[in-house]
Amino acid sequence: MVERLLGSMTLGLSAKRLAALFILLFVVACTSREVVVEGAFPTPLIDPVPVSVGILFTQEFREHELIDDATGRGEVSWRVSTGSAQVDFWSTLFPAFFQNVVFINSYEDLETYDVDAVLIPEVSEVQYAIPLYTSVKVYEIWMRYQLSLVEPEQIMDADNKTINLENMQAFAEWPLTAYGKTPTAFMQSDVDAVNLAAVMALRDAGANFITSFARVPGVMDWIENPEVAQ
Amino acid sequence: MKVYRMVFLIGAASLGGCVTANVDEMTFDAPVAGMVDGSIVILGRRHAPDYDTEPDFIDCIGDQIRRGDERITVIPEPQFVDSLYPWFEPRTAPLSVENVGRLMILPSVANKLSELNLDYMIWIDGRTQDTNSSGSMTCGVGPTGAGCFGFGTWGTESEYEATIWNFNDGAEVGKMSALTSGQSYMPAVVVPIPIIAPVQDTACESLGTQLLQYLSAES
Repeated sequence: MVERLLGSMTLGLSAKRLAALFILLFVVACTSREVVVEGAFPTPLIDPVPVSVGILFTQEFREHELIDDATGRGEVSWRVSTGSAQVDFWSTLFPAFFQNVVFINSYEDLETYDVDAVLIPEVSEVQYAIPLYTSVKVYEIWMRYQLSLVEPEQIMDADNKTINLENMQAFAEWPLTAYGKTPTAFMQSDVDAVNLAAVMALRDAGANFITSFARVPGVMDWIENPEVAQ
Repeated sequence: MKVYRMVFLIGAASLGGCVTANVDEMTFDAPVAGMVDGSIVILGRRHAPDYDTEPDFIDCIGDQIRRGDERITVIPEPQFVDSLYPWFEPRTAPLSVENVGRLMILPSVANKLSELNLDYMIWIDGRTQDTNSSGSMTCGVGPTGAGCFGFGTWGTESEYEATIWNFNDGAEVGKMSALTSGQSYMPAVVVPIPIIAPVQDTACESLGTQLLQYLSAES
């Protein structure tokens, strides 16, 4: 298409190349949207749970992104990177929620710090909906997490001096859902609206985590006796 | 010619579409001497599936009250919601004044609310939306210039309800509502001239004035 369009113009070779570049950039810009989720997250107002917890953000969690390629005419490809915002958000929430928090980055951290348990959050699914697809005038984001609480020894591979999550036996495992929305009337662009919906979904995830944590099977027993994980 | 064009543009700009407003109120236990040194917060309801109460409408009501009585401290909504996170998120926000009592069991929440010296919490629920539109407009660009010709019109409706909670008594002390609607027009002869009905602004002014009358004995 670009070639045919350029053929109809009377241009020099370098001018044609430049025009082709501009047209391709225009086409790509019109058919894909990229959002790196950014936001400011408040520190929760809570009375901390009296336990010492190590937080392990996996590589997949830190780099999480939703990729949705356009499949039909008129559709737009989306790439929504939530990893950095996930780490920012949960790094603000966990230290306020638990009395002592250590961020685990290596096997040596697990050896050095004496924690009651290690909490591992994972993003299992992210979905989005925009007014173009739903005819409802809101941008929406759904997130589903899988959270695991394990004893530190469960993920320590002493032979290789590494962290190994493959055969871990969590003493508490639970799913966590979150939802965020932004009405079309509030936003100037799709990208801003999806970003705000994602920020709202993260805030909702935090609210859900805080209000449901004590109801997770196995958690209350652990809080009452953190030295002995169930 | 330039003078005529200028007069036409100024005349058109000063025109606004017509707006009708219907205001309803049911309140009791108004502060007899008005609020003196307490503070209030105005919050938008955000738990409906298909709409959120607009943050700029909440700001507008707050400004209206602040301008009307400088003694009333209006805590900005984002500041309040962030400082009490996660207890006023769409998932967790109390839907009745009794639920606030349950929140006060948490020492950190009770301390923060006491620090804010909050007298009233006002919840606003509603939205502004376009209701109908008709007309057509054609725009073109030629070697001698560009221009549009045609006529468009659309209706807008605002519907908001304010619920007032007295924080000291732990009771709901009133409800106010504003329903406004108006028709906007956009005639175009070369240049489109929007004649916008200030529907949301009228709703803000109506509801803000009512709230101010309730909270301030001087108004």
